[in-house]
Amino acid sequence: MNFRWDIIFEYAPYLLKGTILTIGLSVSSILIGTFLGLLIGLGKIMRNKVLAFPFYCYVTVFRGTPLLVQIFLIHFGIVPFFTGETNAITAGVIALSLNAAAYIAEIFRAGIQSIDKGQMEGARSLGMTHTQTMIHVVLPQAFKRMIPPLGNEFIVLLKDSSLLCVIAAPELMYWGKAMGGQYFKVWEPYLACAFIYLCLTLILSFVLNRLESRLKTE
Amino acid sequence: MIKVENLKKSFGDNEVLKNINAIVAPQEVVVVIGPSGSGKSTFLRCINQLETITGGHIFIEGLDTTDKKVNINKVRTEVGMVFQHFNLFPHKTVIDNIMLAPLKVRKVTKEQASQRGMELLKKVGLAEKANAYPDSLSGGQKQRVAIARALAMEPKIMLFDEPTSALDPEMVGEVLEVMKQLAKEGMTMVVVTHEMGFAKEVGDRVIFMDEGFIIEENIPSEIFDNPQQERTKAFLSKVL
Ligand SMILES: Nc1ncnc2c1ncn2[C@@H]1O[C@H](COP(=O)(O)OP(=O)(O)OP(=O)(O)O)[C@@H](O)[C@H]1O
Ligand SMILES: [Mg+2]
Repeated sequence: MNFRWDIIFEYAPYLLKGTILTIGLSVSSILIGTFLGLLIGLGKIMRNKVLAFPFYCYVTVFRGTPLLVQIFLIHFGIVPFFTGETNAITAGVIALSLNAAAYIAEIFRAGIQSIDKGQMEGARSLGMTHTQTMIHVVLPQAFKRMIPPLGNEFIVLLKDSSLLCVIAAPELMYWGKAMGGQYFKVWEPYLACAFIYLCLTLILSFVLNRLESRLKTE
Repeated sequence: MIKVENLKKSFGDNEVLKNINAIVAPQEVVVVIGPSGSGKSTFLRCINQLETITGGHIFIEGLDTTDKKVNINKVRTEVGMVFQHFNLFPHKTVIDNIMLAPLKVRKVTKEQASQRGMELLKKVGLAEKANAYPDSLSGGQKQRVAIARALAMEPKIMLFDEPTSALDPEMVGEVLEVMKQLAKEGMTMVVVTHEMGFAKEVGDRVIFMDEGFIIEENIPSEIFDNPQQERTKAFLSKVL
């Protein structure tokens, strides 16, 4: 087999552009998804079951349907419905954020519920309100426990962003496919993409590990 | 100081407290004893409403705290509680554990909170542990910090739920010592405990509970030396 390094070099600027967009899509979806996930997670554990029900449905629907289906629905259905047109990058961020939010909500819920109820009682017995107790006692402890599963979810999200090539968002995988299409090659474009994704996930795990050990020694 | 009227508490179909009536006078130390599952903890937790009561009234300094219009958080600032398992905040240092509620609830300044916190730590003999984390303390030390934390809110009443039951025997004394000191200073206290020595020495009155009822109450010497009820006799013969 004759591995054509030259076409990888030819496509390097595009792969770089794609990588930057992949990072951008992932980081913004992580931020939005984490924020939404916290709200949904808190919503789901509300004591009022009626109020909690919509949040419960949200998580069930987004975890129970394939991300690819969600991407199509959002790109071709929901975004055009509201704006009259669509844009792959916007639709991509929305789909990834909404999907990740469902998983992150579960991580938050589990993290919060893993904190011994004595913590809530200890703080409430001092006259602190439920909200004060959440902010100063429960969430800081829960966050620490959430870092490993959150890190996992961030890595999944980064890899799942490759699905956005199906709606022609010009991220990394999109350029990989373009390269494969132009030269009728399989190994060069997809191995190059795989390698770049691997580097990105390794960097992300490294950052998350550092964060985790920093918080542990505090 | 505390008046409990016809208090009832059920968990689902399980009626745990069945019509409890009790009065605690200012500066009085009331010790609650009784077999496991008799409802002692539940009784204590109803006083500051960590448990939502099913029926009856609880008056604290004349205020009906079971009234929907009463702000229960405000009531709890006057009623400190010490738990069997300490419930310290593991992510905060000892002094931050003590300062948290005064800062957030009483809205005192940092200087005031830390000065008062250090005074209380001295009082429980742990000034040198101010910047340690709870996990590095022994059980007895943790419980003394928990007492200091409750006292930081300047409560008028202190509730203790088996404060020494989770401790190694050699650490029970140091915690009881702090509690004796508090009693001497005139703190109103309700103490659930299996430490009969403490009940005799410090208690002004002993309440014996069984199966959700107050079976008998009296001054310690009468309860221990001259119990009137069969169930009290049976219980005491097992624990003494
Ligand atoms: N949160 C709860 N949900 C359901 N049942 C409960 C709850 N808390 C207590 N109970 C039940 O109420 C009864 C009384 O419990 P409580 O903890 O008040 O007893 P206790 O006298 O403090 O016993 P112990 O000496 O073991 O601490 C028990 O039968 C217990 O199973
Ligand atoms: Mg108990």
